[in-house]
Amino acid sequence: MNIAVNNGLSGGPAHQPRREVLNVKGLSAGYGPIRVIHDLDLVVECGERIGIVGLNGHGKSTLFYAIAGLTGWQRGSIKLNGKEVGRTRSQGPGRYTHEIVRAGLALIPQGDEIFHGLTVEEHLDSGAYTATAWRDRATRKLRILEIFPPLRKLMNVPVGRLSGGERRMVSIGRGLMADASLFLVDEPSLGLAPKIGKSVINALMDVKLGDAAMVIAEQNVALLEGRVDRVIGMHVGKLKGEASAALALQVHRKA
Amino acid sequence: MDIWFLVSNTIVLACIYGTLAIGISITWSSLGLLNLSYGFIFAFAGYGAWLFAQHVSPFGPAVLVAGILSGALGGVIICALGFIPIHDKPNFTIRGLIATLAINLIGTQFLLWWFGPRSKSLPEIFGDWSVSLSGAVFSADKVGNVVTSILMLTVVLRWMQSSRRGLEIRAMMMNPHAASIVGIGVRRTSFYVMGITGGLAGLAAVLLSQTYYISPFGGLMPMIKGVSIALCGGLGSVRGAVIAAVLLGLNEALTGVSIGGRYVLITQFTVIIAILLVRPRGIAGLLDRAREA
Repeated sequence: MNIAVNNGLSGGPAHQPRREVLNVKGLSAGYGPIRVIHDLDLVVECGERIGIVGLNGHGKSTLFYAIAGLTGWQRGSIKLNGKEVGRTRSQGPGRYTHEIVRAGLALIPQGDEIFHGLTVEEHLDSGAYTATAWRDRATRKLRILEIFPPLRKLMNVPVGRLSGGERRMVSIGRGLMADASLFLVDEPSLGLAPKIGKSVINALMDVKLGDAAMVIAEQNVALLEGRVDRVIGMHVGKLKGEASAALALQVHRKA
Repeated sequence: MDIWFLVSNTIVLACIYGTLAIGISITWSSLGLLNLSYGFIFAFAGYGAWLFAQHVSPFGPAVLVAGILSGALGGVIICALGFIPIHDKPNFTIRGLIATLAINLIGTQFLLWWFGPRSKSLPEIFGDWSVSLSGAVFSADKVGNVVTSILMLTVVLRWMQSSRRGLEIRAMMMNPHAASIVGIGVRRTSFYVMGITGGLAGLAAVLLSQTYYISPFGGLMPMIKGVSIALCGGLGSVRGAVIAAVLLGLNEALTGVSIGGRYVLITQFTVIIAILLVRPRGIAGLLDRAREA
């Protein structure tokens, strides 16, 4: 278990500093008059696997959407691989998302944003957005099929006909197709039977990250317990410091 | 009045209207834009083909290609003027409707001012021959209309099935939000969509000009029919639009030979309303294989 020893939030880890994949400073974001994220700071280093836990409606998904430029408005700095992708904007959600994706972001959204008429194979193809990923999409698809063997038989089936668990596999597989250096996974076990949810989390844990990093938002802390490098609590739009899974349940507050 | 005349008219009308309706349907479902400037693109393409025939070459296929290309150019212009500036602003659907309608009105007035009110006619594209098949006579322009529109639609639909851009467009048709998550740029894809649908309108303009003439307001009626067929087929469904085009082409041919061509709009909208009363999502509601998201 990873008790709060170093505070990654302030950007000064005690161990050897590694390359930062993501550096968020003073991020606020929301929709219309509603402000969901309040002056949030977050540093993710390469090779890290981070869990963000928090209750419904406390801004986990909005944080991910803000990094992808999909919220209604946002301000603050977001550096992805050293490239500034955040900007102060009040409209145009999604206008710059494809540039952010090209800069190395793969967002696996909550609730399976799928294309219900595309087949599983086309779906995986659509995830290989960058030029290099598109070129070797065949090998990437094989890799996805190794992670999610049940998809092998379903390659030519429209996604709209799949079950919830299969859809989640497709959705995650689509995200993993990308040539990304940062994977944001939003509630991978949401709405799934406990057994299937656990297998999906296991698959995510087995993904070899290399230089990339992965941030997983979850409500079920027990699923992440001891398997990620850090667990960060989130409460009303702010990150509440690093916490162990047990402490996060009580919304532990660090100074 | 014989049965073959009816059948051939039905097929010709279905092909032309289907071309228009598929264009409108694709634009609506991928960009969320009900393109009311389609009539302007239609007339614009017609004049483009006419200018080409006057100044470059009256060779039929070349005129056809010129019409398709000027239609695509018109679509791209509409995209730059009416879609790009407003597509991510609040209330885009209504704004887009009004913006494209305004472009349609301004553009047709501009064509009227530039080319004058006199209608233009294109040279015969498919020549002056005819085939007779077991008593039925098919004239060159009927055969040519059917063959070229089916050919063009096949090429476009194959391209959408197999190419990467086509995959992007189809993804956007199904779920624009998810499309932006996987990195599909709405603004760039919109130019492809509007160029292709504009090209389809250009094809329909040149084909219809074999029967009617090219005039500044000549695109209005095809646009109304195209929009209503797209609606009847279920916006966003290509197969639905094809079936609706056949149904309404049959209706138009039947109305023409029974009670007279001037009542076509009345019978057409009666049929459409009847279909939408039973199937609110249009004909596509019967075809869908996948569950709703």
